[in-house]
Amino acid sequence: MVSESCGNPSVETEAIMSRRPKYDKSKFCIKCKLNSGAIIVRHAVYCKECFPALLSSKVKRILEPQINPNPELSRKKSLKASGNLLVGFSGGLGSTVLLDLISRIYLSHRTEIKKEEGVNKSRGGKDHPRNEPVWKMVSVCYVEVASGFPGMTDKTQKIHQLLQENYESLEFIPIRLENAFDLSWWNKVGGKAALDANTDLTSDELFVSTALNSPNSDSVQKLRSYISALPTHTAIESAIHTLIRILLLYTARSTQSSHLLLGTSLTSISIKLISSISQGGGFSVREEAQEEWNPDSKGAVRLIRPLQEITLKECSMWAWWNDLLVVGQEKYLRDKDGIEALTKEFIIGLERDYPSTVSTIARTCAKLTPKVDAAGLCILCERPLQPGVQEWKSQISMRATKEPSPPSHSSDPSSVLHSLTSYLCYSCHTTLSSRSSKGVSRNSANTSLPLPVWASTHMQGLLVDVPITDMQPNLKEADEEIWLTHKVNPDEMKVAIGEFLLE
Amino acid sequence: MTTISLRIEFGGGLELLFSNEKRHTLTLPSMVSFDNNSKISADALSGVNLKPADVEYLVFYLRDHLLQERPELFIEGKTVRPGILVLINDTDWELEGEGEYVLQNNDEIVFISTLHGG
Repeated sequence: MVSESCGNPSVETEAIMSRRPKYDKSKFCIKCKLNSGAIIVRHAVYCKECFPALLSSKVKRILEPQINPNPELSRKKSLKASGNLLVGFSGGLGSTVLLDLISRIYLSHRTEIKKEEGVNKSRGGKDHPRNEPVWKMVSVCYVEVASGFPGMTDKTQKIHQLLQENYESLEFIPIRLENAFDLSWWNKVGGKAALDANTDLTSDELFVSTALNSPNSDSVQKLRSYISALPTHTAIESAIHTLIRILLLYTARSTQSSHLLLGTSLTSISIKLISSISQGGGFSVREEAQEEWNPDSKGAVRLIRPLQEITLKECSMWAWWNDLLVVGQEKYLRDKDGIEALTKEFIIGLERDYPSTVSTIARTCAKLTPKVDAAGLCILCERPLQPGVQEWKSQISMRATKEPSPPSHSSDPSSVLHSLTSYLCYSCHTTLSSRSSKGVSRNSANTSLPLPVWASTHMQGLLVDVPITDMQPNLKEADEEIWLTHKVNPDEMKVAIGEFLLE
Repeated sequence: MTTISLRIEFGGGLELLFSNEKRHTLTLPSMVSFDNNSKISADALSGVNLKPADVEYLVFYLRDHLLQERPELFIEGKTVRPGILVLINDTDWELEGEGEYVLQNNDEIVFISTLHGG
């Protein structure tokens, strides 16, 4: 039978798809089936009493298989990490909930912890081997970003106070975003001496110049210079996320931590995945959820996000029901600027009406693996570097028509010029070379971007054994054909097509 | 005309929009204008379509009488902005019919923003 309706909702009210009920079956708790439900989590109803066990089981499901150095097949084997634990704390909702859950599940047997009711009660007494601490030492690290944005409030003191009141046995490690440009911090965490390096963002080649003695070695100035040189707000968001992540990883290593935990919720992961993929981060989709970081084989740190199956709604309810004080994060960019802010708005809206869709994003991405193996690590974000980035980009996008030439600026004889491009992953290259759709560079006055200390060290390490060939072709065996291509200038072009021109 | 007394609470940073005050007590009429107009006087009410005061009306009432700034951060269309959780007597409002829940005397309604950092 042919439908006679035109399907236009403004004409026929029945054309609007009826709203799917927010919960399946009944209003009673799906777990205990006794109590009246208090919260709906993706169509499932839970009571207030069963909610804590739901969250703790989700955390354990993600975290516990990653605790022991080798994957454990037997569930009965006790949990024992090879090193200490570092918890990244931003002051936001996710971090606050993470710290609370981790302390309840794994640290409640420590007598110094103030929490009286643990989600996990220790059986057999405090000294039973089963209740031996998983990590010997637990620290909390906070990265202050205020120096990069004039006018922003420094929250280090406030956060320190909060942690002292609630987690006094945990060591507090405050670091600052400008440490990324601070050689003394770099030495402290075991980094090798790095030269001061700056990248010129005016061309896609991203030429780097290095100097032995930089006139400007103030790390705050360098951080501000870094931020002001970035071409778009989206680039700023991405770049700062990367800096924070790397700072936390090196701090984890310096505290002999085998694990770094971050409070990224399911909602946040879905936002980050979509936002990252839209900026060319598809190759490191797996690393958004979890990564094993060991850039120079000096000791691996597992970066795990135990809240990745817990929605922002659940985090919020947990914080509310347990009276957790959330210090909050100050936005460093205006609302709605940048891809991540727009993605967040989209995903939050989606989560309200179609909560399962948001978890589908994370689950689908978890099934993806890249087709090719990585060709090393990106020197900026230290994530897998996909081969063929520049070949791909040259096929899909307009390139600068002018032949890129290294900027001739420095009179410093020690200044050396290299292209950064081949050492960056697609996503980082896009971040540095993106152009604002408005056509005008955000701050065209500053196009020199200082390199973070690790990037500079990596670059030096990679260049040490490679002779500076610059634009010279690689000469192969004498009897092999050598193809040398160069851009044809207008005079040559005229000679080539001269006989076809109508004079 | 009967009235309903309500306890309202804001969390997750939402209180910043409401004079930085987390707790409020309100008295609402039990029957209100169908189009959520909370500025209509008691006498004029008899001439309009009425409905029992529900959470949808409460949201409009809060916007019109308590909200100090940035209404777009609290209300979107006829409901709260995505990212704001609503609890009716400590229960997820999705279990109580959301905006259609009819308010009862001494109900406690909590509005929590989940967007306070992350």
